[in-house]
Amino acid sequence: MAEQTASVPKAPPLPVRIFRGFGLLRESVVAMVGLGLIAFWVVLAIFADVIAPYPPNANFAPMQVPWATDAQGNFYLLGTDHLGRDIFSRIVYGSRRVLLLAPLATLCAYLVGVPMGLAAGYLRGRWDDVLSFVANVILSFPVLVLYVLIIATVGASALNILIAIIFASGPGIMRIVRGLALELRNREYIAAAQTRGESALYIMFVEMLPNARGPIIVDACLRVGYVTITIGVLGFLGLGLPPPDPDWGGMINETRQLAMMFPHMAVFPCIAISSLVLGFNLLADGFREISLRD
Amino acid sequence: MNKRLENILKKPNGFHHHSYVPEVANKFVKGEVDRREFLRTATLLGVSLPAAYSFIGHVTGKSAFPKARAAGKRGGTFRMAMEVQEIGDPATYDWTQKSNVARWMVEYLTRTGSDNVTVPYLARGWEASDDLKTWTLHLQEGVKWSNGDDFNADDVVHNFTRWLDPAVGSSNLSLFSAMTDEVEVTRNGEKRMETRMREGAVEKIDDHTVRLHMKSAQLAVPENLYNYPAAIVHRRFDEEGGNLANNPVGTGPYSLERFSVGGDAMLRRREGYWGEEPLLDAIHYIDTGSDRSAMMAAIASSQVDAIYEVDVTQVDTLESIPGVVLHSGLTAQTAVCRMQVDKAPFDDVRVREAITASIDNQQILDLGYRGLGTAAENHHVGPMHPEYAELPRLKQDHDKAKRLLAEAGYPDGLTISIDVGQTQGPWELATVQAMREQLAPSGITLDINTMPAAQYWDIWTTTPFGLTAWTHRPLGVMVLNLAYRKGQSWNESNYDNPEFEKALDEANGLLDADERRKKMESVQTILQDDHVMVQSFWRDNFVATRDYVKDYSVHPTQYHQFEKVWLDK
Amino acid sequence: MLIFITRRIGTMALTMLVVSLLLFLLLELNPGSVATKVLGPYSTEEQRRIWLEAHGYFDPLYERYFRWLTDFIRGDFGESTRFKVPVGDILWPRLGNTAILGLAVMAVVVPLSLTLGVLAGMKEGSSLDRGISISSIFFTSIPEFASAVFLASIFVFWLGWLPGTSGMSDGFDLRQLVLPVMVLVIYAFGYTVRMTRASMAEVMMTNYIRTAVLKGLPWRTVITKHALRNALIAPFTVLMLQINWLLSGVIVVEFFFAYKGFGALLLEASLNQDIFLIEACAMVAVFVAVGTQFVADVGYTYLNPRIRFS
Repeated sequence: MAEQTASVPKAPPLPVRIFRGFGLLRESVVAMVGLGLIAFWVVLAIFADVIAPYPPNANFAPMQVPWATDAQGNFYLLGTDHLGRDIFSRIVYGSRRVLLLAPLATLCAYLVGVPMGLAAGYLRGRWDDVLSFVANVILSFPVLVLYVLIIATVGASALNILIAIIFASGPGIMRIVRGLALELRNREYIAAAQTRGESALYIMFVEMLPNARGPIIVDACLRVGYVTITIGVLGFLGLGLPPPDPDWGGMINETRQLAMMFPHMAVFPCIAISSLVLGFNLLADGFREISLRD
Repeated sequence: MNKRLENILKKPNGFHHHSYVPEVANKFVKGEVDRREFLRTATLLGVSLPAAYSFIGHVTGKSAFPKARAAGKRGGTFRMAMEVQEIGDPATYDWTQKSNVARWMVEYLTRTGSDNVTVPYLARGWEASDDLKTWTLHLQEGVKWSNGDDFNADDVVHNFTRWLDPAVGSSNLSLFSAMTDEVEVTRNGEKRMETRMREGAVEKIDDHTVRLHMKSAQLAVPENLYNYPAAIVHRRFDEEGGNLANNPVGTGPYSLERFSVGGDAMLRRREGYWGEEPLLDAIHYIDTGSDRSAMMAAIASSQVDAIYEVDVTQVDTLESIPGVVLHSGLTAQTAVCRMQVDKAPFDDVRVREAITASIDNQQILDLGYRGLGTAAENHHVGPMHPEYAELPRLKQDHDKAKRLLAEAGYPDGLTISIDVGQTQGPWELATVQAMREQLAPSGITLDINTMPAAQYWDIWTTTPFGLTAWTHRPLGVMVLNLAYRKGQSWNESNYDNPEFEKALDEANGLLDADERRKKMESVQTILQDDHVMVQSFWRDNFVATRDYVKDYSVHPTQYHQFEKVWLDK
Repeated sequence: MLIFITRRIGTMALTMLVVSLLLFLLLELNPGSVATKVLGPYSTEEQRRIWLEAHGYFDPLYERYFRWLTDFIRGDFGESTRFKVPVGDILWPRLGNTAILGLAVMAVVVPLSLTLGVLAGMKEGSSLDRGISISSIFFTSIPEFASAVFLASIFVFWLGWLPGTSGMSDGFDLRQLVLPVMVLVIYAFGYTVRMTRASMAEVMMTNYIRTAVLKGLPWRTVITKHALRNALIAPFTVLMLQINWLLSGVIVVEFFFAYKGFGALLLEASLNQDIFLIEACAMVAVFVAVGTQFVADVGYTYLNPRIRFS
């Protein structure tokens, strides 16, 4: 099926292209494993109400070990934390926050970074000078410090974290897109469009952007993973999403003091966050493999 | 009472330190006050500790002196993990940790032990006037500063003068507000009102006597003199740079050998100390950063002999580490979730009552602090205070809370937000999380707004609803005077109730603990019924040491007193 | 070349200027709090006001900024509000400690990742390549705090082999360096391995290597004499950029293990809004970022004959 559509010279309609992309993806075991990991967490997040046995913040018997049943007959798959909250339910509900915030923040960062990068790379000149300088200024600062400074000053909330992520990763995206645009701007079809008298906006977004999608998709996957880690680190440093709703990084921060007696409290959220990031990284690797093959 | 017995308690000139001394002595003989109560009141009024003990011994027929311990081994370096912060000016210290490094070099006029009893230190005795407005301090003679100068009244006068100068910025200004007046001054060419020392508030009587004049009755002067920013510095402290780290001149038993902020502080025993020599050769404070698990890791791997503070979440872990001993102490340290009574929606007492009625303090203690403390009653006085009056137990009542909310105009529930800085540890967050679950059935949604500790201290007096940690104070009235009076700078709830203040004034002037307790009953009830705060528990304090550290006792305010500590290595 | 260097230095100075101004503005969002930091939370409004006046905080922002800037250029970085000592006194020793940590990490990462990367890139698609690639992705996916939790639980609490904190209060101790280095290596080596692998794989595809193999030269000679030199250009750039990345990476590790380094200092300064300390740290960070970029560019030009010729 995929091979058949591939032979059609004119660009196929969007659904077919997506299906074709997925068909290619299926050839990569790495990508499928990554996709599987992400899908696992997405399913948990969507059906959290059904899957999680308890409300995420309800207090039961504290300090239960995994696979334990307390005096009331409540069963805890992954045990409970120091406040008697079911860790499994908290991880399941926690996936909602991270799976909403990380891709959303990455998307927003792209909405800012892509136009900047295209403008700098295609228009060059003063646009490039100014935008590149702004990006260099922001990128020259250790990114985590940037987050800490912003969050410590304006306070921790989902919106502020979102803004901080856009601010800190926008320039990186801009730099990548700029590089791609610089490469593409000398292509023949761009020159053709220019001769046709197309506007700069049309050329940037209709001609260039689709042709730059391969590296952008790879970068986006890596970046979602990195943003997931960032949200975790902020939670770990006590600057994350406001409690008590479960946040994986915050769960680790709250319970790692007990890591010796009750390692499960910190270890399971660590595994959760690592596996999700692994999913995004594997998917990115799969995409890269495919784009190299093209 | 037998005259010979009474004489034990008198001053050498044949007079009593205070007219209440014979009365409390009489009560002790009759069994109306217990040993500890007698000891506390008598020493508070200036009776020396040996005299008080000797009196008890004569009455009970048993030696009441604390058992002389088998003297420990002398020597060794005691390594303790604690934040090493700047120690420039003792008057502006805002962290106990700062004072713990400094207190081995600079000393206090009085000293409160782990048993909550305040005894003489640089002041060898004191007496109060009957109206408790004039306090006379008799200073130790023969005390030498480490630079060779004699310690005398000028030093004490100088310290009071700088504490009560607003430009120095000492929190003692609020603590000794009975010695201040608001006066008009010109600063930077601008006329304004400033709080500063009253004229003649400190009077030098002779080289070793100083008299303090208060504008109102003050009960806790000796206790306040051991508050951590009240260390006595040399009279030329300011002229010589005003920085203890650079110019460590003191009367204390140790001298500063090495000091780096955020690094470590090494204190070594010096020759010629005026008092009894401590056993340890050196005390080494090691900074392990602001992350509490690092401290735990340091003691687990024997990098230190003790850690400054154990968070309640670490108790289980530390107990399971071989070679580590956990020490705990009952304290009046607490967390106050106070509401500003003049800010909506907390300006409606029904809303405040709905909040307190939703909460079961014992359960908050169990969840938020692992049950390792004592349940409190929302009025900031506790059973560890001598004047505490027992009130009827509070009841959790969600129906009542809902009804009150509806009356206050919130029939569909209410969303409020609390600021938490976790200034004393992660348990603060656990506490408000437990509160949130208990408020939910009443239709109250509690949003939790966490922030770095430093940021919380920016807003602690301005946020409408916040969790503030309060330290231990030996007397119940001390906190009430500081935090719940109109116009006091630490009045974080903006509480203003003349009836409460009147009752508190009366309690302040009563030396008899029983009388004071009766008065406190109304003081506590007024505060409780105004629903100013959710104060769920008094937390126990934990310190961990390695097992070869002997005779360590936990001080309720975490002030370090290691004179008896020794190492059995 | 001279123009290139001058331009770079000019850009660096301008970047530092803008960053310092931005920080000044960001911290201006919370005016007055500096007095609370210095005098403590128990000071009165009045005391704070007197302190702010005495230290010139009521002067307009631009005046304070220029005062700071001229002092900074003269080498006076101001006084830390938290430590109450000149910023330089704390900054330089901390930076030295982080340099030690960074060198130790590099000493492990460079040989490890280059070896693994070359091994993987030699035969693209082999099972060795797959194994190395997948495991480097795997390790890159574990956040630092997670590996710190895992490693500390195992080596400090469970086995008791290693000290749990790395404060080095009794002088330098190699054992205390082990855990922080391990955590940083786990997080850092994956990326370099993948870069080296990609670069090596690319070189192996080039015509001259194919010719060399076809000519029947021994495999070992092809790799060491021909492939390596060309394959190591890209990883060199990556390693230089890793130095900049490490400045960010050390924050969590130093915080976790109480290592007295630059990262922990910067984190604490940010949390305490210790303005002059943040400014000085930021200048160091920008200097390192732009400096390593510069060295990477120069080194790349030097190592890559294609660029040198053009």
